[in-house]
Amino acid sequence: MFDRFDIFFVQQLINGFSVGLVYALVAIGFTLIFGVLNVVNFAHGEIYMIGAYAGLLAIVFLAPPWVALILLVLAAGIAAGVALERAAFKPFRRFRDEASLKSKAMRESTLLSSLAISIVVRESVEKIFGADMQAIPRAYADAMQDPIVLGELAVASGQIAILAAALVMFATLQWILKRTDIGLSIRAVAANPLGAQYVGVNVDRTVIATFAIGSGMGAVAGILIGLYQGTIFPAMGFAPGVKAFVAMVMGGLNSIPGAVICAIVLGLAEAVATEFFGQGWADLVAYVFLVLTLVFFPTGLFGAGRERV
Amino acid sequence: MRGVLAPLAVFAVLFGVLPAGLSAAGSGYLFRLADVTLIFCILSLSMQLITGVAGLLTLGHAAFYGIGAYTAAILSTRLGFDAGLTIPASGLVSALFGVLIALPTMRLVSIYFAVATLGLGEMIYVTLLNWVSFTRGPLGIGDIPPLRPFGFDLSSPLGTYLLIAALAALALLVVHRVAHSYYGNTLRALREDDQCADAMGLPVVRLKIETFAIATFLAGIAGALWAHTTGYVNPADFRFAESILILAMVVVGGLGSIPGAIVGAALLILLPEALRAIGRVRILAVGLIMFLCILFLPKGLFGEVTALDLVRRQFGAAWRGSPTDRPLGWR
Repeated sequence: MFDRFDIFFVQQLINGFSVGLVYALVAIGFTLIFGVLNVVNFAHGEIYMIGAYAGLLAIVFLAPPWVALILLVLAAGIAAGVALERAAFKPFRRFRDEASLKSKAMRESTLLSSLAISIVVRESVEKIFGADMQAIPRAYADAMQDPIVLGELAVASGQIAILAAALVMFATLQWILKRTDIGLSIRAVAANPLGAQYVGVNVDRTVIATFAIGSGMGAVAGILIGLYQGTIFPAMGFAPGVKAFVAMVMGGLNSIPGAVICAIVLGLAEAVATEFFGQGWADLVAYVFLVLTLVFFPTGLFGAGRERV
Repeated sequence: MRGVLAPLAVFAVLFGVLPAGLSAAGSGYLFRLADVTLIFCILSLSMQLITGVAGLLTLGHAAFYGIGAYTAAILSTRLGFDAGLTIPASGLVSALFGVLIALPTMRLVSIYFAVATLGLGEMIYVTLLNWVSFTRGPLGIGDIPPLRPFGFDLSSPLGTYLLIAALAALALLVVHRVAHSYYGNTLRALREDDQCADAMGLPVVRLKIETFAIATFLAGIAGALWAHTTGYVNPADFRFAESILILAMVVVGGLGSIPGAIVGAALLILLPEALRAIGRVRILAVGLIMFLCILFLPKGLFGEVTALDLVRRQFGAAWRGSPTDRPLGWR
């Protein structure tokens, strides 16, 4: 039915799909935070990196079972997210009126402060652990590489784990947003922060909860990818961070399903581009998509007229 | 006398005190440090024009600096052009790319524009890195001849310094005349509210593209100077981190303040050098300084209002010259 080339190509598409899921895992947290605060969190890639390093430390010193490992990383991510919010975002939410909440100055100062925090965090990790790749101990990393053969195609168990994690995270997030009180207040703040405040929603606590949820997911994504790829390094957050950002913009800035779909499209497109143009040029795909989206679909592919978050 | 003394003082420091002091110290390292500081002054001044004065947050400025550096490197190593031609050519090529990039992106506002420039900057970096037959990719281009414009040998430390200082002074003059004039006030109007400026009949998109062209021209010249003085260019020098360094200079110095851009550039180049004794902390220091500055000095070290006041009093800015020399604006 398939000749060799086609099988190879389908294999590449499967790999691209799992890369896309990686971007989607990062993009979910990114989009959640943007949807609520309407500001870009440039330090999200660093949360992802912190998740990977927290996981490595846990593995080296505690060697916990899988569930405990994921919970520890989740806790580290939540702590990092809350600390980030306190340091880089809270100081700039000092005004309450509508004009300053929407002002360019506030958006740009949080953008710059999260950027500055991300530099400080990345460089500090580099000073502590070194700039080099750190290998994840084999006992854990190998579990992600078991091949699962489906006819002529092979899928690594890590790819299945990433798919499962993406599905679980997406479902959990939808459950939190649609079925819990905190989700209700997150959606309220996303729709209108002042209105939410007038009807008694604690905006400050809601924002912290948003950061906790988004950062927890980012950190878990970090350790999953670290395990799957077998190595982690301080700058690992930059590329997925930028790609997740592109997915968010393509998806329309505050649509989580849109961001997930666009992240997968991006992963597939990169796999195809790698196939035809080589690894180096494939990095261009994300940026080309970004610029084309911004120029031709300024509201994103899925953005117009949807409920935020 | 007002409007003469202060420019003379700047001139005297740049061409008298500094080179005399550096020659007396006789240290190649100090000369190099002064050169790098002045090159980054040009970069931060050009970014100040886009980001501080016209209010367009750009995250891809290093790409234009890189285009300038690669233009100079390729023209001088492949075609044997001398620095007298490569420096203006680098500015022009960079400005050409600036306009090409500005045409589709200038209709985007605030965060969308920032993201688009980040994407375009990374596109240029990826191209420099992967177009191996043209840019030699990650190997970089070496053996770029030192500065010998039109046969004058300026490759000595003092000569190099004087040429860079002259071009930096020229860049300062250009940015000063653009920013401190009614034209600059128009750009500030765009920064504050571009819809309102549009409604008042200002050609918003054209003004933005013009500003972008001027700024990218200056960034290209800075790139050419970097290429000729370093003798080697590599794509890694023109990445996102470099854009952030330039942005940090502008933010630390004070958005919209021309003296601030110079203070910021000097601080962020010289302070990490002074900290060299305690290890490689350059980028960490940049991040920390930037964060503390945003938090505690949101107007920057040399805020725009103070800067405008200084310029108006001491540097004879264009709007000083009402017939009776009465100060304009609220007092």
